[in-house]
Amino acid sequence: MIEMKNVNVHYSSGVDALVDINLRINEGEFVFIVGESGAGKSTLMKLMMRELVPSSGRVFVNGYSLAKMKSRKVAKFRRSIGMVFQDFRLIQDYTVYENVAFVLRIADKSARMIRQRVPYVLNLVGLGAKAKSKTRELSGGEQQRVAIARALANDPGLLIVDEPTGNLDPKRSYELVGLLKEINSCGTTVVMITHEHNLVRYFGGRIINLEKGEITFDETIGGNDEDE
Amino acid sequence: MRTSNVSYLVKKGISSVWKNFIMSFASFSIMLVSLLQISCAILLMLNINIIMGNIEDTNQIVIYAKDNITDAQLQHIGDVLRSNGNLTDVRYYSKEEALEDFRKDMAEYADLLQYLEENPMPETYLARIVDISNIRATAAAVSGIDGVEQVKVPYEFAESLTNIRSTFTVIIIAVLLTLIVVSIVIVSNTIRTSVFSRRSEITIMKYVGATNGFIKLPFFVEGCFVGILSGAAAWGLTWFIYESIFSLFVGNVTLWQMFGFVNMIPFSSVCWIVLAINCVAGALMGAAGTLISMGKYLKA
Repeated sequence: MIEMKNVNVHYSSGVDALVDINLRINEGEFVFIVGESGAGKSTLMKLMMRELVPSSGRVFVNGYSLAKMKSRKVAKFRRSIGMVFQDFRLIQDYTVYENVAFVLRIADKSARMIRQRVPYVLNLVGLGAKAKSKTRELSGGEQQRVAIARALANDPGLLIVDEPTGNLDPKRSYELVGLLKEINSCGTTVVMITHEHNLVRYFGGRIINLEKGEITFDETIGGNDEDE
Repeated sequence: MRTSNVSYLVKKGISSVWKNFIMSFASFSIMLVSLLQISCAILLMLNINIIMGNIEDTNQIVIYAKDNITDAQLQHIGDVLRSNGNLTDVRYYSKEEALEDFRKDMAEYADLLQYLEENPMPETYLARIVDISNIRATAAAVSGIDGVEQVKVPYEFAESLTNIRSTFTVIIIAVLLTLIVVSIVIVSNTIRTSVFSRRSEITIMKYVGATNGFIKLPFFVEGCFVGILSGAAAWGLTWFIYESIFSLFVGNVTLWQMFGFVNMIPFSSVCWIVLAINCVAGALMGAAGTLISMGKYLKA
């Protein structure tokens, strides 16, 4: 699903954002990518969504080779993954329904399919009743759920979630990761980038730790939620 | 792309005009002024052509036949002149008619003229040139007709008119081209401001996998729609301004003569053409301005 081979990212400012990254994430996994600010988490995410190309090495996501991908193929690749951003990146003038329907229109789905699929994913994240609300009228937690619904709309095999709890209170954060775990249990691979170690320790799973652009830890740990 | 999705994007484009009303109004106003200037320049050019045509119509060449010409030769000259495509209103002017006119013009010398033993006037044809830019070739052809003694041609008048017409045409085309280029630059800058205010929306669309075509379409529709509205409004204003000027001339013979108008084009005879030109030009300006301004934000 995701494979990185000898990946290096060197910025023109002289910073080595990622150093010799070798990584493989298989289908159905739930992976936390953790690290302090500046550790290289965002750079890793940008590589996964082809916002950035590596200075050297190879990146494969969903069967696409991203390092030498032509610009015109990027849109098609991005439609094959679900992305959730820390700042939600929802179109504020659109309603909740329109934001989710938008990705289905991009994928050229039929009007009938859109009418069926959008309420389904909105119900999945618990926002079925807010379909007609303007995005800007929602709370941070609700906007994050809309972003997740939008990412799930195309039924992607891979969901990349960047700091989804950064704007949420602890209770909402735990609920959100719980929701992502549920989604993962349905077969969707989830890669969650976070710096909240408490959350990671609570839920457990495969943890990849980045420090100064290098992977210093890549193991699976048990979580507290399993004890409960 | 499915029809339902295309129609969704078109509706989105049109509804954006109202959602981004201030920026749309700015683009509308800029295009309105530009299109107003363009349509006024077009109408001015059409009317100048009419004026020049009217002045051209006053030109006349005079063809003198040789002395002692036979009636058959005279008839032949008339036939050849009438068959020349660049001559019109060919008229035979007999030597008797010429002498009669001469006597009228020289009435104060009537005593002297009564001693004329024979008519000294030549047999003559009068004609008008259709296209004065070809006056030299036509004069040469007429001079070569058997029985023609001399051709009197207003070369200076014809060449002055040709030069004036060419100069006017060059000036108006240059003004039109300048207006179009300046308009596109101003419109694209105005639309760029509009697009800039919505750059985050464009970036989000790119992040979720929208193709450039999918992102451009609503903006393109919006630009075209505002352009068409501006074109229609510019047409209405042009009509008003033109009719106001036209009504000044109606019933005022002095003004008509001062400006050399015999018949200024009534707006009603060109109104649909002007509307079509305005709307098409507006749509093209809006679309071009939008597409030029969006490029930068589509590279994300």
